[in-house]
Amino acid sequence: MAVELAGYREWAGRRRSPWWTCWPIVRTGLNMILRRWIFWVLIGLGLLNFLFNFAFVYLKATLTVQSEAAGGFLDRYRVTGTGEAYADFMFGQASITALLLAFAGSMLIGNDYRQGGLIYYLSRRTERRHYVVGKLLTVGAVVTLITTVPALALYAEYGLLSNSLDYFLNHPRILAGILGYGVVLAVVQSLLLFAIAAWVPRTVPLVMTWLGIFVLLKGLAEALRAIDDNRHWLLLGVWDDMHRLGRWCFGSLEAGRIPTAPQCLGVLAGVCVICLVLIVRRVRAVEVVT
Amino acid sequence: MTEASANSSVGPGLPAPVAEFRSVTKWYGAVIGVNDIDLTVGPGITGLLGPNGAGKTTLIKLLTGQLRPSLGQILVRGELAWSAAAKRFIGYCPDVDAFYEEMSGRTFVRTMARLHGMDRRTAAERTEVALAEVGMSDRADRTLRGCSKGMRQRIKLAQALVHDPQILIVDEPLNGVDPVGRRELMELFRRFRERGKAVLVSSHILDEMELLAEQVVFMGRGRVLAVGTLPEIRNMLAERPQRIRIRSSQARELATQLIPWSQVRSVDLPTENELSLEVHRPDEFFRRFAALAVECNWNLSSLETTDTSAEAVFEYVMAAASKF
Repeated sequence: MAVELAGYREWAGRRRSPWWTCWPIVRTGLNMILRRWIFWVLIGLGLLNFLFNFAFVYLKATLTVQSEAAGGFLDRYRVTGTGEAYADFMFGQASITALLLAFAGSMLIGNDYRQGGLIYYLSRRTERRHYVVGKLLTVGAVVTLITTVPALALYAEYGLLSNSLDYFLNHPRILAGILGYGVVLAVVQSLLLFAIAAWVPRTVPLVMTWLGIFVLLKGLAEALRAIDDNRHWLLLGVWDDMHRLGRWCFGSLEAGRIPTAPQCLGVLAGVCVICLVLIVRRVRAVEVVT
Repeated sequence: MTEASANSSVGPGLPAPVAEFRSVTKWYGAVIGVNDIDLTVGPGITGLLGPNGAGKTTLIKLLTGQLRPSLGQILVRGELAWSAAAKRFIGYCPDVDAFYEEMSGRTFVRTMARLHGMDRRTAAERTEVALAEVGMSDRADRTLRGCSKGMRQRIKLAQALVHDPQILIVDEPLNGVDPVGRRELMELFRRFRERGKAVLVSSHILDEMELLAEQVVFMGRGRVLAVGTLPEIRNMLAERPQRIRIRSSQARELATQLIPWSQVRSVDLPTENELSLEVHRPDEFFRRFAALAVECNWNLSSLETTDTSAEAVFEYVMAAASKF
């Protein structure tokens, strides 16, 4: 169709700040994940876990109304209502997220490096920092949607189905715990995934590296602790460090027991800094003509 | 035309440059990508030619702000090419064929529009305009995976045009496109030029560049070797005599007349009615020849230069460059 027929006219509209470009990056990433059935299988798994907990809370509320003792009996099962239970729930959800991200990392980030798609971003107003933030937010959004949001939903359900709304007033640490653990998971996983996917963009090597960090490091940490009888070795298990820090957010981490929360925080901060350095180096390396 | 004269093409009364390279050098560690480039790109279609490794890709990456120059400045409408302010003037259609394959063409262009900072509604409107311009309005709902090479090329062009840029930079746009598609794309570039905008096309298809580009930039070994129209560049190659073929029933008489001319370097009569010449200073030759042809009332059926095509000029420029 000719331009004239298309009603072509010059566009002199106002452009928003380049930081706004992070939003379409996030939206595109989420859309791509939701388009693939394989990811729906994993999301479905997470949903099953959530529905189980949701039903359990409902059951407890119903039984409590009929008989206080029956409701109390269910408290023996650590499902919801306590910080410990939320931490376990989020840990389970985070495991599913880690699996999902292992497979989605190549599509979300790796392809930009493997196929050169990054130039579509960088030839626009999107600078490297906007691109990096956009991609980190995408991964963070995936993590939050599967871990933090369902936990918040359970927290709200538990509070609303209680005899009074005092639950919310009496357990503010739980809300802080959910948010804190959610932030830890989102920040660490997004930085780790970006760094790995940028340097190992193909799916299979990426999955192996990603799972290696979470599974092999944990195994190595346990083995070294057994050999050396030094619990500090457990800090090597990044996955468990996140969980420990999460439990600390809920106030359910045993005080003084090594590894402590500050130690875990130190290790995770170190991992994040290393990831950031790797990301910056990789994004700058786009300058080299291959 | 040399680099210096390329700059001199911008003067009073001439259109303002859309993009300017000012003494630009780019190193990749110890390797030099482009070396001391001075170049001005004004409105119209400019072809970027050169062999592999000549520095075309680096030049384009510098202009699109993907690379920061090691030395010098690149300005797009007065803004540093590296800055976000300059990006609004640039529409870049890369040769990279990497898309989000699950996306439809329409969604892809709309997403690219949003990356320019447009709100949702404006992005949707501009997407439709850009798709109409590349003739993809009715086929843009297909996923990119299901698009042919030509369709993908058009979608790439649409994403480059979506924000109404001042300069369209196109890397190998005609690769893999069928002849009809090529004609349509060339027509699209001409329409863009008619709106007073600039198009910089990097291509290896010399014949089509000859038809398309008003000005060409020859690159080699990281330098701009020559800038200008093809005849201008051809005329600059003084050491290369221009080849001219004349068809006439009086070829022998013509040869006798032309041999003593200082501009004529050699004369050949391949057939009874055909004359091949190698001439220096072609402008001078043509003026003198035209006067003589009228005066003697020669019977000429055709006169053509045989080595002013883009391909021939390209070879000459590259040969000349290899001496340095």
